[in-house]
Amino acid sequence: MKKTLLSFLSSLKLTIALLIIIAVASILGTVIPQQYGGGEAFRHLSPGLVKAFRSLQLFDMYHSVWFIILMGLLSLNLITCSLNRFPTSWKLFKKIPSLDRGKPFEKLSPDRILVIEGKPHEVIGRGENLLKKRYKRVRKKDTANSTVFYGEKGTYSHFGVYVIHLSILIIIAGAIISSLLGFNAYVNIAEGESTNTVYLGRQKGIKKLDFTVRCDKFSIALYKNGMPKEYRSNLSFLKDNNVIFQGPLLVNHPITVNGIRFYQASYGTIPGDQVYLTIKKGNDEEIIRKVRLKDSFYLKEKNAKLTILRIEENLMSMGPAVLINIQSPEGTMRFWAFEHIEKIKDRIPGLFKKVPKFNPGLFKPYYFTLNRIEKKYYTGLQLSRDPGVSTVAIGSFFIIIGFFITFFSSHKRLWVRVDEQEGKSRISVAATSNKDPVGLKREIEHLLRHFSYMRG
Amino acid sequence: MIINTTILGWVTFIYFGSAIFYIFRMVTGREFWGPFASIIAFTGLIAQTVGLILRWFESYKMGIGHAPLSNLYESLIFFSWTIVLLYLIIEWRIKSRNLGAFVIPFAFLSMAYASFSPNVNSRIQPLIPALQSNWLISHVITCFFGYAAFTIACGLGFMYLLKGLGKDEDTRPFFRFLPGREIVDELIYHSIVIGFIFLTLGIITGSVWAYSAWGSYWSWDPKETWSLVTWFIYAAMLHSRFVRGWRGKRMAIMSLIGFASVLFTYFGVNYLPGLHSYF
Repeated sequence: MKKTLLSFLSSLKLTIALLIIIAVASILGTVIPQQYGGGEAFRHLSPGLVKAFRSLQLFDMYHSVWFIILMGLLSLNLITCSLNRFPTSWKLFKKIPSLDRGKPFEKLSPDRILVIEGKPHEVIGRGENLLKKRYKRVRKKDTANSTVFYGEKGTYSHFGVYVIHLSILIIIAGAIISSLLGFNAYVNIAEGESTNTVYLGRQKGIKKLDFTVRCDKFSIALYKNGMPKEYRSNLSFLKDNNVIFQGPLLVNHPITVNGIRFYQASYGTIPGDQVYLTIKKGNDEEIIRKVRLKDSFYLKEKNAKLTILRIEENLMSMGPAVLINIQSPEGTMRFWAFEHIEKIKDRIPGLFKKVPKFNPGLFKPYYFTLNRIEKKYYTGLQLSRDPGVSTVAIGSFFIIIGFFITFFSSHKRLWVRVDEQEGKSRISVAATSNKDPVGLKREIEHLLRHFSYMRG
Repeated sequence: MIINTTILGWVTFIYFGSAIFYIFRMVTGREFWGPFASIIAFTGLIAQTVGLILRWFESYKMGIGHAPLSNLYESLIFFSWTIVLLYLIIEWRIKSRNLGAFVIPFAFLSMAYASFSPNVNSRIQPLIPALQSNWLISHVITCFFGYAAFTIACGLGFMYLLKGLGKDEDTRPFFRFLPGREIVDELIYHSIVIGFIFLTLGIITGSVWAYSAWGSYWSWDPKETWSLVTWFIYAAMLHSRFVRGWRGKRMAIMSLIGFASVLFTYFGVNYLPGLHSYF
């Protein structure tokens, strides 16, 4: 039972099956929107299906229990099959074949035999030096009428595959460290505002930083054709009211403060605290005046003080509006000035009768309209602390090394026999390789050429 | 019309001509047409290189200098450039033109899509902030060399399957030029290895870039996910060869499946929402 489980876990069938299942699941994840609760998907699916999808965690598939189990199985499979195969590779690495058999030289093709001037005993010494220079673990064996050398190179090629598998496990370990010990968060900060509360990704709640981030300014630079060239947030980081770091944050240029990296992720606008008010008095020319929230100015002729009490971006679905307070000798009155009052009037006949507070001409002879609310930028920051990154980087580095060992090196074993033929030396080269037959052929040609230089 | 797009437009026709000559050579079974095909392909590659360099210069003249690897048009041009470059290296190394009829048409199609599709904008555009990174060049280059190697593997796969339609020692014009099965199998393997290494490098450079741009080296964006799926397919292919000794027809079929996944990673993903929307 134990054995069958182990052989199942270490089987290539399981590897292939897991790769296919994970691939299909991943593809599913690119089709089903990965949002909390399914988001948009609601509209297209029946409630029962949404419920089923939710219980299968299909809207957050890559973090679902079953996806993590699949990844875990893949790692386990990787570990067991590597452990299973390792002893064989180790034996291949260690083993030096015996030299006194003629077997490697049976059926040797003529182009692997070379006859050179000089007696064998003259050639052997030089040949040994040549082989020792080119190969490792060179062995020599004298028999009755010949001398056989053995040499090899690229023994490490047996381990390439373990380097790759280990690298993958290191990358997975890094990913686990990232998800357990790291965090991702975001926060929107309006210009001039500051905060130390950020929102964790995947709706995991909020997080308090031990310092405060202030957005001093957000700006966009455009190219001539109107495409965005630069998003820049000037940020200050404060601790106990002291600035600990200050600098511009740009896309692709994160800032690290206290081990937390800040990224320029998005931006947007919110209504600011300034508005432009259009004021018309009787048949006079319109004038436009800029007013700040809670600020006042005087309408001199009527000895009245006008104050902006509230700014609403969308009041009762009727668009932007400001609440105006007027204090005059006649008394105090409050009413709303809309931006799109003409359209609203047309849509709702008799509006001012029903709701006198919406009448912008309430304080005669003035007529107020909201010209526009001055917008204010906010910057969208992404924050992350990721202690797994260096582990993943190490794994990525070694996976490439592993590829080069596995795909571009091979264990080449060569047998060189020197014997006498009509007063000259006959050199025969036999060889095997665990892969790359083309490279082996080149190696043999190379060696024979070196031997041929020895002539004379 | 800017000079570089004119040159690159012409390159489309040059590759078309080259493909025709390679196919003609195959169909007539006469080597006579071969050198024309090669010379035309090589001319196309030179012209395309000049076009790409000019485009690079022109972008600097416009004051928005960047390598011509920043939008769909430029990536398609670069894709076909890598295909032809890799192909000509292989042709030179194996001293055989048999593969040309199966590979150069891909280079032509990529150029034709770039030059003639109304959805592909050939203007030089400035880099948006997310693309202003030193990782752009290394990411795009590694990915596209990977894609090109997989394209060649796919061409070889087709070749292998076509060979299966004939007899072993077929002397009919078309089949005469199809090389032996073991050679094709070996070439498929080598192309897959090259592609796999470049794809891995592409994924790694992409994650480094994502880490400096978005704060996360992996975020299951559709393109990331699909590149991983592609990686899995080729990994499965290499394993079945190494461990199970799969050869020949199965490898040929898998090289086609792998290429379909590459194509989806490249184009299909644009229909899904994600971070790679500018490609």
